[in-house]
Amino acid sequence: MFQSVNDVIAGFGAQKYICNNNVATVVYLGTALQKPILVEGPAGVGKTELGKVLADALGMELIRLQCYEGLDEAKALYEWEYAKQLLYTQILKEKIGDILQGSRTLQEAVDCVANQDGVFFSDRFLLPRPLLRALLSEKRCVLLIDEVDKSDAEFEAFLLEILSDFQISVPEIGTLKAKHIPLVILTSNNSREMSDALKRRCLHLYIDFPDSQREMEIIKLKVPDVGNQLAEEVVRLLHRLRKLDLKKTPSISETLDWVRALTLLNVKQLDHDLVEETLSTLMKYEADIRKAHQELKAYLAEKQAQRPGGSEKDHLH
Amino acid sequence: MEERLIEFASVLRRNGIRVSLSENMDTFRALKLVGIGDPVLFRHTLRTTLVKRAGDVKPFEELFDYFFLGIGQALDAIDRRIMDELGLSPEQFQEMLEQIQRLLKEMEGDLSALTRALLNNNRAELERQLREAMQQEMEQGTADNFRLTPYTRMTARLQLDRVQSEIERFKGMLQMLGENGEDLQNVLRYLDERMRDLNRLLREIIQQEQRKKGIEPRDFSQRGALADKSFAFYTEDDIRRMNDAVARLAQRLKNRLSVRRKKAARGRFNVKNTLRKNLQYGGVPFHIQLDRRRKTKPQVMVLCDISDSVLNASRFMLQFVYSVQDLYSKVRSFVFVAEIGEVTKLFEEHDIQTAVEGALKGDVIDVFSHSNFGRAFEQFYKNFFSAVNAKTTVLIIGDGRNNYNRPSDWVLREIRQKAKQLIWLNPESRMTWGIGDSEMPRFAPHCHVAEECRSINQLYKIVDLIVP
Repeated sequence: MFQSVNDVIAGFGAQKYICNNNVATVVYLGTALQKPILVEGPAGVGKTELGKVLADALGMELIRLQCYEGLDEAKALYEWEYAKQLLYTQILKEKIGDILQGSRTLQEAVDCVANQDGVFFSDRFLLPRPLLRALLSEKRCVLLIDEVDKSDAEFEAFLLEILSDFQISVPEIGTLKAKHIPLVILTSNNSREMSDALKRRCLHLYIDFPDSQREMEIIKLKVPDVGNQLAEEVVRLLHRLRKLDLKKTPSISETLDWVRALTLLNVKQLDHDLVEETLSTLMKYEADIRKAHQELKAYLAEKQAQRPGGSEKDHLH
Repeated sequence: MEERLIEFASVLRRNGIRVSLSENMDTFRALKLVGIGDPVLFRHTLRTTLVKRAGDVKPFEELFDYFFLGIGQALDAIDRRIMDELGLSPEQFQEMLEQIQRLLKEMEGDLSALTRALLNNNRAELERQLREAMQQEMEQGTADNFRLTPYTRMTARLQLDRVQSEIERFKGMLQMLGENGEDLQNVLRYLDERMRDLNRLLREIIQQEQRKKGIEPRDFSQRGALADKSFAFYTEDDIRRMNDAVARLAQRLKNRLSVRRKKAARGRFNVKNTLRKNLQYGGVPFHIQLDRRRKTKPQVMVLCDISDSVLNASRFMLQFVYSVQDLYSKVRSFVFVAEIGEVTKLFEEHDIQTAVEGALKGDVIDVFSHSNFGRAFEQFYKNFFSAVNAKTTVLIIGDGRNNYNRPSDWVLREIRQKAKQLIWLNPESRMTWGIGDSEMPRFAPHCHVAEECRSINQLYKIVDLIVP
């Protein structure tokens, strides 16, 4: 377990995840206070990644639950295996004679069957889904509930019991309590506002796009082959693009994809044709690409103006 | 510290950030762990435990600064500005301050503590003086509370006129002493600046105090009033803010609807799926499968009167409909005054703002003619009626003032028969419907809904009608 905020930064750094002080503080508090962390922010800033890295940094198992509309208890928590139970009942039919052997009265026969109850109602028919697995896990684990905003309001209400008491009730068996309280990370893309009851039980973390310097660090860490100049130019261009009114703002993960593509093509610095060809890794909408083109032209023109003749010389190489 | 934190929580609450008791307790538990030594850590801890909404982060940061840093930041900024203005390095600035300090000692007559603190740049003392005065002001409050602004009252309490005259006196003394040229000029300018700074600080501190009490600065209160203000009286500024309001409204609706309703539990029994699903149980139907009820996306046609009298209402309706257009399978929009024209294409090619302005500017139709609903309806019937079908919601925005022309309300009857819904929004008060050249009594009976829509609040209510 983490001992301090700096411990978190170091631990995450070892997993190649650069986080700022704010993120580290929240993670530290979440682990120390055993409170779930609700992570919000634009798509692609590393919310899901945070959960994965946390598990890796602490050497714990990661159990992930992807939420979607219509997700219900049977898929999130547990399922009762009727088929298996049926099968057992079939066996019982054949063995019933053996079991009832020696019982004279009806009362005795019923008692005999009652003794075997455990066979029919026990956790052997319980098919654990992510939530139950996280609670019953032998070691402490990280539970990542991804895109919780996509789930229905009913499911959210049902999560409340698990997040505050770390226990669940199974009608067939009774209440199951967590063996170890898992570290819970919930991520949300804000497609709807989560209820106050859920928020109250969580620590809140808002991750935004990183500043230029941190983004540089991230790029260099994740794509070690990238040249200094290229990384710098990419970051500068991206921060300009993010200011545009786009349908989908390019995120960190898309930036990394783009840089990887550029590095593969052995690009040392941005020029118009290249960017135009590879822009589709960065932008996902036709209208966005059109807007980005204009910005790109402006950017390259400025660059040219700043260093007259400079880029031409580089072209010769 | 505990008291201070609880006070801070109530300051947050007064400013509309929801902080519950359990969140407060979390803060204490967390601070026990991390301590209060590190200011950055302290801020992050408070933020993660107290603020649960991304939108509340910014107000939190502001209030945190006010509450825990006071006017320290403002003082920093002022120092920097003065140095910039006089073109001095920090060392030179310090030197000048020392010089002034020496001169102040030589000055005869008593100086007020405030003047001394101000000119010596004694920040702690300065802040203490201001705060104390503010505190007294808040506690005692005078009968003049309603007549004078807080600023005027504080000026009197701090005796700013005395500070002013003392500075003048000091300036006079300096000139008498005849210090050498440039230095003297710098010092004189510094003194003038200081007086202005004091005024600035005073305003800052008053504003902070009001924020803490939850009294919103004036421009905030106007936004509330905007909700009930009639579109007809909108100023340019109002329109800009209205755009924000519409965008927010649209976003909220989209959020709500993006999570579609859970699989309907009431659909019809589906034999095939039930059999397939229950094969694993030997055909014993453990899980009943029902048909999912699918909601079809409706189509919308918006007909906007864009004569001057209803321009704003049309503007916002267009903007709204296009902001939520992905909820519909198709949106077509028309504008009319005496003629009708389709502006759907404008919206395909431009972003919403530009398109709305383009549609209203008269690129498509003549906007300077007199309203003629009857003619516009007839043209609509002739050219576009075939596009109306049973899924279409037709939305008309207009005041129904027909300039005594032929009303041709039979078109509405036809539309009503064919379309799913016919809604009329009128930016005029219901009281005036039918008075003068208003043909509303003739139009309204044909509509499923005919409502007045004069302000944001009414728009909010109507929105439920047109969203699937």
